Amino acid sequence: MEQYIKPPVEIRYREELEALKANDGGNRPENWQMSPKAVRTFILGSQKPVPYNGKEYTIEKKYFGNDALVERCIVTLAGNRGLMLVGEPGTAKTMLSELLSAAISGVSTNTIQGTAGTTEDMIKYSWNYALLLAKGPSREALVPAPLYVGMEKGILTRFEEITRTPAEIQDSLISVLSDKVLNVPELGDEGFLFAKPGFNVIGTANTRDKGVNEMSSALKRRFNFETVMPVREAGLEKRIIVSEVEKLAAESHMAMEVDEDVAEILASTYHELREGTSSYGHRIDKPSAVMSTAEAVSVYYQTMITGYYYGDGTLSMDSLVQNLVGAISKENKDDLEKVKGYFNTVIRDKSSKEGGLWKEYYEARKWLR
Amino acid sequence: MERILRSKEMAEIILLPVRHHSPACAFHVERTIEEIRPAVILVEGPDNADALIPVMVHEETKAPFAIYYSYHDQSGRISEEKAHYKCYYPFLDYSPELAALRAGNRLGIETAFIDLPYGDILAASREDRGLRRAEEEKSNYNDDYLLSRNAYLLKLCERTGLRSFDEFWEKYFELNGMQEKSERWFDNLSVYCGLARENTPRESMEDDGCLARESYMAKRIREHARRLAGAESTVLVVTGGFHTPGLKALLTGEEECAVLEAVLGERLKRAEEIIADAERGPETARTEGRHIGTDLGTEANGDEGSPVSREKKTEAGKTRDKVPDKDQGVYLMPYSMEAADALNGYASGMPFTGFYQKIWERARESETPYESAVLDMIVAAGKETRRKEGYLSTYDEICACSMAGGLAALRGKREPGAYELLDAVLSSFVKGEYNLASDTPVRILRKLMTGKEVGALCPQADVPPIIHDFQDECKRFGLKIVSTLEAEATLSIFSNKKHRQQSMFFNRMQYLNTAFARKIKGPNLQLKKDRNLMREIWKYKWNVQVNAALIEVSVYGATIEEAVVSLVKEELKKELGAKESALLLTRVFEMGLRDQMQPVFARAHQLMLADTDFYSIAEALKSLMMMEELGKLYGSALEFGELIAIGCRKLTGLLPSMTRIKDEDLESCMNALKLLYRITGREGMRGQEREDYIEALQKMTLDGEINAGLNGCVHGILYGSGQETAEEIETVCKGYLKGTEEQLFSTAQFFRGLFFTARDLVFIGEQFVRMLDGFYGTVSQEEFMELLPKLRMAFAYFTPREIDRIAAMAAGIHGKGSGDIMERQEVYPDWYAYGKELDGYVKAQLI
Repeated sequence: MEQYIKPPVEIRYREELEALKANDGGNRPENWQMSPKAVRTFILGSQKPVPYNGKEYTIEKKYFGNDALVERCIVTLAGNRGLMLVGEPGTAKTMLSELLSAAISGVSTNTIQGTAGTTEDMIKYSWNYALLLAKGPSREALVPAPLYVGMEKGILTRFEEITRTPAEIQDSLISVLSDKVLNVPELGDEGFLFAKPGFNVIGTANTRDKGVNEMSSALKRRFNFETVMPVREAGLEKRIIVSEVEKLAAESHMAMEVDEDVAEILASTYHELREGTSSYGHRIDKPSAVMSTAEAVSVYYQTMITGYYYGDGTLSMDSLVQNLVGAISKENKDDLEKVKGYFNTVIRDKSSKEGGLWKEYYEARKWLR
Repeated sequence: MERILRSKEMAEIILLPVRHHSPACAFHVERTIEEIRPAVILVEGPDNADALIPVMVHEETKAPFAIYYSYHDQSGRISEEKAHYKCYYPFLDYSPELAALRAGNRLGIETAFIDLPYGDILAASREDRGLRRAEEEKSNYNDDYLLSRNAYLLKLCERTGLRSFDEFWEKYFELNGMQEKSERWFDNLSVYCGLARENTPRESMEDDGCLARESYMAKRIREHARRLAGAESTVLVVTGGFHTPGLKALLTGEEECAVLEAVLGERLKRAEEIIADAERGPETARTEGRHIGTDLGTEANGDEGSPVSREKKTEAGKTRDKVPDKDQGVYLMPYSMEAADALNGYASGMPFTGFYQKIWERARESETPYESAVLDMIVAAGKETRRKEGYLSTYDEICACSMAGGLAALRGKREPGAYELLDAVLSSFVKGEYNLASDTPVRILRKLMTGKEVGALCPQADVPPIIHDFQDECKRFGLKIVSTLEAEATLSIFSNKKHRQQSMFFNRMQYLNTAFARKIKGPNLQLKKDRNLMREIWKYKWNVQVNAALIEVSVYGATIEEAVVSLVKEELKKELGAKESALLLTRVFEMGLRDQMQPVFARAHQLMLADTDFYSIAEALKSLMMMEELGKLYGSALEFGELIAIGCRKLTGLLPSMTRIKDEDLESCMNALKLLYRITGREGMRGQEREDYIEALQKMTLDGEINAGLNGCVHGILYGSGQETAEEIETVCKGYLKGTEEQLFSTAQFFRGLFFTARDLVFIGEQFVRMLDGFYGTVSQEEFMELLPKLRMAFAYFTPREIDRIAAMAAGIHGKGSGDIMERQEVYPDWYAYGKELDGYVKAQLI
């Protein structure tokens, strides 16, 4: 695992996946690596440890917030329609789609990364021109792109940030999704690629970018939509921060404990700024910046790095607030003022009531500038 | 089920735990009754409703209906407030209680209710607990919340990955429920109920009145069992599952009660096994017949079983006398699915009434009632969505169906249930992000799942006296209440006494929220609109809901007038402001209430005195003045003089503090000043009021930071009442004109106030017009444009003729006649073109 900054899901959880496969007694849809129930267990965790190779593996819960949504996603993927995950940035849409692909197809890397410059050949196929000139159009000269690969092998194709790609490019998915066949006219009669069972598409789209390239309703019809909501519970958000940061720290070999109290402070800050009310009932001006859990994780992790490499190995509130400023003042200058206001009301009250870390946090407000 | 074996003294007793509104439960209750054929069926429910049973089981009575319990605490047993209380006990076709009563009727078995009468339950509950919870929603006799609000359940949902008690219930008790053997089904429920009870603090049960009710129920059960002792007969008791363990403990003696406590650990284990069974599927579960509940361990734990000792205490404490019967009312009323659906806020019972009604209807014919109901719902929701939104295809419906089936398989449910249905529609019907704009399909589905059926009662159903009164009144005015078509009535309320009375009747019905009559035209006293109209036009329509609404208020009186009077009094108990209380008086005025209104006036007095909001009192005064003026027309004998005098004094007292108001409040403040001027000048007012008023005004002018508009208004009044001369006012004006820039700007506002109360000032001499003229001279063009809106407001108080006069005066100052300013010299196109050319030429030369 050492050669990656971030290993793909199927490598990170290889043992868990193997253990689940070995113990899977349920019916598998064709070409799926495991049964829907096992997929569910992989993503939502299980209480009973799973025995494999003489060891016992506890399947941890990897996705928090909405179990029913995960179940719907699994059932959708077993059916005839694509799955489209939409929601605010930082709500773990991509993570969920990776988990689903790794569990169902055993690979999460068959991915189209949507940008404004994505073209149709990045989705379907392109040509190796040397071979094309030498041998003419043949399967050998064809360079398959993720959609082609997915259909050919019967695995899931992930389409990230689909609304960032131009509408006419998005639409190239329409007939493939309904007919499950891709025509390569250059190959003549042999140019029909019929999708193998197991093939499906998981798309993700940000609702904040909705205006960029709205999906056509023809394409929408071919997907089941799942709206991923931000975590609405400060306690859960804290758990997510702790577990994600622990993972990140382990990957970069930082021997540093995650401080639950700091995670709690950060979780409640993000939670309150997002919801617009504090746990004491203050009404708060909401910043326009994205206040996602993923942002909170990165703020915490940055603070941890600062402490580990430059500081004394502990987390300092000063650097936490500095990183918070960096995360918030991205687009709008007013946002910083709003956070200042938040510190001067909510954090002030909390520091005088709770004391301790809250007090340090309040005192670090001098960095809000 | 819990059996208490027959003894010498008592017949065999079988306790069936139930959950209100559960198809599976109703199914098993029915089946058990058919198998056992008990001698008597006892059902949880206040026993003063026994007389209603024949009506409830009558074939013309259609569910949903509810028993309406009311209690008027005249004897002050519950609190000193002597308040009115009411609650509902709704029944659906698949309510186990109703199923039991109907089965009893069919098989000729005696049936009876066994709970404490409603008033006694109230007396046994602590304030704000149990049935005495102050809820905005309707208070519901059902106490299923006891089963769903405990620490154990929270853990259980977390462990099983289910969202709520309702989903837990559906998965483990409904979906597999119909196929199971009745005895086993009840045993499983017994286990759950026992655990729910053990995880509920005893104090809380006591506060809710639970224990008092149980000991009463146990007493009634014992009576029946003793009566039937010796015979080979059985007493079947159907109660909410939460009470079953308690009843069993009471009926079998104290020992058993302690045993219950002791085997907590055992039960937890059993519950887990049941869940594991269900997970494995119904087949395996059925083969290993288990009996739970009856074979509890025998080792009694010596722990001073606080439950036992407390039990005694409660029994002892229950020596208080019963609540008098005459204050209690109990009637049947038609109910609706919407009201019965727990999701609509009526807290108890199962949600999705319409959905489970379908299940109930299919349960006996079909092996898979859920599958076909889910399909029906998907199709119905799809059809409606297509009609409303237009985008849904049959393929979407197919996808939804396979989604529901897939989810059921994934979640280990035998068939897709309500939650799979909701998930399927959410996933397959909603296109794009799920938000307010796109959730129509889900909303449609929710509505379908609630259902819209309304119940009906057979003609023999007894109705409270208020309905007889209503019918008499309708006869008196010749109103048709047989048809449900809307009819219209035009009432000349000022010339025809009977019409006025009819209007009073309509107004009262409207006040009682019966949706019987609505006024579509006529004077609106509450908004003080259309007061010039001489006639009222009403539309009225009778339907079952009117009777239901009347039954709801029947606790407040035997006649409509009585009910209205007590509701008005009730409303006045709230902390109303002066404005609201005057508004309420307007309604009283329209409803023509006069008797027993003394306390209402007294309370309005108090509220008026307590209010310190200037505008609220001013509004109230305005309403009161209006009513006094209209009193004769409406034939009202209400006396408002006293209230007006109080309001007037109060308002005058507040005046000096009102100087620094904001501009947006100016209009209402000026109106209040004018109103006060009118009131203090009224006949019957002692001169003192006027003096106080003038004094307050003078005090106001002394405040240097008084709002300019208000200042103008005050000076206008002082001038009008001869307290100031025109010269003095001129001085004030000049003060503004010569002041700093900001003050100069407020001149326009000052004029507005001044003209509001004393516009005749302008016409006295030329000074005012000159002053205005000078003012326009001082401000720049830009500033003038900024002031223009305010100036326009100021001059809005003049009539067109007066404006003409002012204009003529202004023209005179500049040496012109009124005719001159009316004419404008036109600019010929040639001149304009020439000027433009010239401009261009000069510009070109300059460069």
